[in-house]
Amino acid sequence: SSNEHKLNFKKSKEACLSYIQDALLQKQWKRAAEFLTCYVESLEKDYSREHIGPSEIIWRIGTEILWHHSQSNMKEFNCFMEQMKTLGVKRYLRVCLEHVFHLLCNGQIDEAYQNLSLAESWRFGEQTAIQDKEMKLIQAYRGLLDYYSWSKQKNILLENGEDGFSDLAVEQEMHGYFRKAAVNLKEIIKIPGVWDVFVKCYVDLLEFYGDHNEARQVLNEYAYNSKFPANPNAHVYLYQFLKRQGESKKSLISALKILHDIVPSHELMIDFNTMLQKSKKRKKRRLGLEVIFTALDYAGWKENAKAWSCLARQVKQIVISEKHLDWIKQEWNSRKDWWPAFHFSRYLAKRNWQENKSLSYEKALVAGILLGKDCKYFKYVSHQGCKAQLKRFRMLKKFVNRHNLVYLRISG
Amino acid sequence: MEFPAALFPSYFSAGPPREEGGPAPVAGWGEHGQVLEGGPGRRQGRPCRGRGATGERWETADAAPVPVLLPSAGCWFPSPAPQDIVYRSGACRKLRVGKSGATLDFARQLGHFFVDHPEDAFGSLGRLLHKNFYLGNSKLKVTVSRNSTIRMTALMEDIDRLEARRGCPRQHLASRLRWFSHLCRDWLFEVPLGLLADCLHEELMQQWSSLLFDDSFTGGALAWLPPEDGGTPVGCLVHPGGQAMNHLHFQDVVLEELPRARGSPQQFELSGRVRQVAAARVDGQDFVGVRSDYHCGVWRVPGKTGAAPTPLQVIRTDMPASCLTVSPHLPGELSVCTQSGTIYLWSVETGLQQLRHDPQTMFFRDYSPWRWSDFTAHPRVLSCADRTGLQCLDARAPKRCHFDLFKVGEEAGCQQGERVVLPMYLGRAHPSQYLVTTQFSVYVLDERLPLVPVLKWAHMMKAPPLFAHLMPGKHGRSHKVLLGASCTQELLLLQYQVRFLGVSSGGSQSACQMAGTPQKLHSIAGCLQHLPTQLPHRHHLLQQRLTAPAAGLAATLQEDGLHKSMLVFQLSEAGDIFCQRLTHKAAQPPAPPPRDEATTAPGLVPSTAAALRYRRWLRAFSRACREPPQHAWPPSLSQRRLFTHRDLEGPAGPSNLQRQMRQRLRQTMQQGGRIQRWEPLAVQPPPLPQTLEPAGGPDPLSTRLTAAWAGDWEQWWEERTSFSMAQRQRALRERRRRQKRAKGRRSLSASFTSSLTYQSELSELSDVGPQILSPSHPPVLSQEGSSPAGSPPRHSLWTSPAPEEALLSSQSLRCRGIPKERRKTLRDYLSVWAEGPPEPPEPLGSQASQLCIPSSQSQLSSASQPRRKRPRMGF
Repeated sequence: SSNEHKLNFKKSKEACLSYIQDALLQKQWKRAAEFLTCYVESLEKDYSREHIGPSEIIWRIGTEILWHHSQSNMKEFNCFMEQMKTLGVKRYLRVCLEHVFHLLCNGQIDEAYQNLSLAESWRFGEQTAIQDKEMKLIQAYRGLLDYYSWSKQKNILLENGEDGFSDLAVEQEMHGYFRKAAVNLKEIIKIPGVWDVFVKCYVDLLEFYGDHNEARQVLNEYAYNSKFPANPNAHVYLYQFLKRQGESKKSLISALKILHDIVPSHELMIDFNTMLQKSKKRKKRRLGLEVIFTALDYAGWKENAKAWSCLARQVKQIVISEKHLDWIKQEWNSRKDWWPAFHFSRYLAKRNWQENKSLSYEKALVAGILLGKDCKYFKYVSHQGCKAQLKRFRMLKKFVNRHNLVYLRISG
Repeated sequence: MEFPAALFPSYFSAGPPREEGGPAPVAGWGEHGQVLEGGPGRRQGRPCRGRGATGERWETADAAPVPVLLPSAGCWFPSPAPQDIVYRSGACRKLRVGKSGATLDFARQLGHFFVDHPEDAFGSLGRLLHKNFYLGNSKLKVTVSRNSTIRMTALMEDIDRLEARRGCPRQHLASRLRWFSHLCRDWLFEVPLGLLADCLHEELMQQWSSLLFDDSFTGGALAWLPPEDGGTPVGCLVHPGGQAMNHLHFQDVVLEELPRARGSPQQFELSGRVRQVAAARVDGQDFVGVRSDYHCGVWRVPGKTGAAPTPLQVIRTDMPASCLTVSPHLPGELSVCTQSGTIYLWSVETGLQQLRHDPQTMFFRDYSPWRWSDFTAHPRVLSCADRTGLQCLDARAPKRCHFDLFKVGEEAGCQQGERVVLPMYLGRAHPSQYLVTTQFSVYVLDERLPLVPVLKWAHMMKAPPLFAHLMPGKHGRSHKVLLGASCTQELLLLQYQVRFLGVSSGGSQSACQMAGTPQKLHSIAGCLQHLPTQLPHRHHLLQQRLTAPAAGLAATLQEDGLHKSMLVFQLSEAGDIFCQRLTHKAAQPPAPPPRDEATTAPGLVPSTAAALRYRRWLRAFSRACREPPQHAWPPSLSQRRLFTHRDLEGPAGPSNLQRQMRQRLRQTMQQGGRIQRWEPLAVQPPPLPQTLEPAGGPDPLSTRLTAAWAGDWEQWWEERTSFSMAQRQRALRERRRRQKRAKGRRSLSASFTSSLTYQSELSELSDVGPQILSPSHPPVLSQEGSSPAGSPPRHSLWTSPAPEEALLSSQSLRCRGIPKERRKTLRDYLSVWAEGPPEPPEPLGSQASQLCIPSSQSQLSSASQPRRKRPRMGF
């Protein structure tokens, strides 16, 4: 009968859990809380060997309820979390981390820092791989909070410095924060992962103390180590660092070229294109055309007036100079079967004209050159423009009519 | 779209998933996951990976979903339930094998086959052997036949006994049965038993696996074509209908407090069950893709409300298609996947382009042939998915240019055993984002940062989400995603957002995060408790109908000034569409008022309008179900089907003959006499002589029966066998003479000269043998005065195909979505009525094409619309 008892108990436990689940999914926090008080009993006779045991269930559900319950407060929440930490050894670090996150979200930085320090000093036998990772995260977040303290002190010092007055104690304290932060941040960014915040802070620290080589090394490692995910931000940070350092155009271009290779639709591609267009080298200008064409392939760029004006400018340049029409031809070749429907339909002409006149101007220029003066988009926009007696559009019409033969050479 | 300036921190490692586990009931609660800073010293609300800022508050307006359309006529047959397939017995738990934990009831199904299709199972040998099987109850007499006849009754008893002891662990096979089966296993069956068993087992396994998880409805068979911005609030629901779900309906729906169907739907009859309906709007036009197992079609619906849908193109696949998605970028472009692992880009203008053919799964080996494909931010780059992950490939160079977008592995922090269930391009919310659902979690991916999900959340649904619907939030509001499961009808509303940070922090985008807690919506089955009380059997029917697995999901946001609401449509496999409304509650002050919990309490009652809907739906439902299943009655056929109207039409008044007969009857009655013979006073149509048996004496059957009755059957047999030669010869000669005469008479009767001359001869034949009428000759008395041969032959009735016959043709059966194995049964069943008719002719070409997809039959559309051309798309 003990078996039967176990079974019945298990059944009622499951039923109770499903009631709680139902209440949570319908945002009935009070009802869920009432059920949870009954469910706590399941801790006493915990025979389960499931993936998620009752103690973890109570932690998760209890936290969720306390987040949303209209009568909960921070004190109760902290109290609940402390209890939960003692419930499971394996989960201790995870619960600590979640507790800290909640404190941070509620702006209680000091409490969060205390909790992090406490968790860091926690030792229990041998650590599992997951616990090891969690410990590293705890240290990293502590480093982050140290960085914020450092940044605060720095601002104070800078303000005071303006007054021509320096405070040695504050400076000492600031350096202390720097050391603590740097040690922890340096550790985590060695491990493969997405560490945008930590890398930014660490580089900021290094730059302040003039350790540009170390900063460069960190950023290079973050961007080019193949064990790390292909994070566009890593390349952006490197590019921004190089820019701050006043590096040569060449190294900036090579940094952006790699970004272009992994994310051709990145918003920095406009900068990249302008940089390349200004270049004296033919090869770079050729690359610039490719970059802007590729960016405009993406749905997210469809209505980007800036990008269209970049393309229009470059195409216009080429048409006027009548040199390198083959560049346009090459780019157009792989697009001529779908760009007309994707960019230059009559429907879009109407909508663009209504919503953004300058966008429709740039697009009409490109359409007129690539598809000729009979293209639907160009015809509609130039007609509307002339009807509205806009000088710009009349010029556009003239220009396209004058260079109408170009389109035959491009598509031929 | 900008890339977020900083992403949430996370570890990254490659390889197979390490985390063990399984479905965890609460894994989605109580975690922030990670936090992220908006800028130094400034924290943005509650940024986190799992959960974020408070989302919008949506509250269900009614107690339960409300039917949108009335149930269609005709009964719905639920798909097989586990108890139909699985061996149920408590005692044989030990027998259970494999992960499925169930034993298929193979023997019972095979038994069913033998009983239902004896002709197919052992037709020829059965006929040959039936003399040797004795079915009587008494013991076999010791006669000559003893050696060559076996008594089946004992065998049947053994079988019954075996059936009664089903599942008994100590059951032993009766030796007699074993002996019999050993003896005849190899030759008794028409189809070799091994082969038959293999096929059946395969079919059973397939049925069982589709019961466990049926992915054929992935994506859902319901689409909502929203009205144009600022137009009238009339959208269009595209959904399958009909008993076999092989009709495609385009139904205009007016969005009022309760959405209401306007007019009759535009209907298209397709040649297969509709599995998926996908739609996308390009350049103000809606393109609707429809997938059935072997056919995919595409329709175009112009943006104007009330405009008629035009079928554009149809393709046929050799393997069942598993996916059809419509491009949101270019008009008339779709992507198709088949279960053979082939992915096509399908353009209405240029046709099919094969992008990949690989029967193997991408990242590790998985048995599932399911494939999926969708579009990405780049109109020429398509994603392709199988259960192990997603890849993106460039249609311009599919072999060379591809990258991995999502892997079931440590990269995304997956669990062991986790599999991709439904990928979806979230282009309407963010051009480079992707939704991937597995049975455990939902992931949002950004194609600019492949492999690392930008959002992950354990959805805790009881069944894997097969349907998803995105409602993009404009102007920085949260995007809403609805997830729907099939067999449990679960519906979950999630919100996530990509917020723009203020100018002070650089004006960049923040990372993607969940907004608010997920919310469970009502399911169709939930309205059962709000329906009026029913009789138990009716309640059971209703329950069966309402708990039918969901087959699709659609939703729309409706803004009416400050008043915002969300309408969620859910389609069930029975073809019912139910709808629920959620209303948006404006942002509340931080301390929510105490009434927040009462509004969604379970005790809510439906509004009067909803109650009216329920009543109407219920009435239509019971009307549709009242028709008893036809096989419950002995086959009967109304005369109206057999005879033309004119045949049944009696003469204007009583005929001459009738008058005479009546008069005579009355006379005799008055006299108190009796009529010995209805000797004709006038011309009587002579019966056609059909039997040409010798006239001498009664027929052999009668004599045999008489002899058997009298008990001297054996003597009769002796006599019969020793029938004298002379007697036989005499009989033969007699027969020949009569045959000659009959021939002459026939040729003459055809010339309509006079039937009177033969009256004398015929009268002597008339009492010989029974008068046999051909089954198509009803005894009609009204044909007075005309010669028998002059009456039009009734066979003509059968030569023109009757409606039943059209049904019998295998082609038309197939077209109606009736599975192959059931066609035979249906034909057998129908042929009960149709004894004697010749083999039905195959429908003519024109008829066949009418049944094909999409035979644009806008049958019920408003009369004002001209009948559109029938497209030439032979499947």
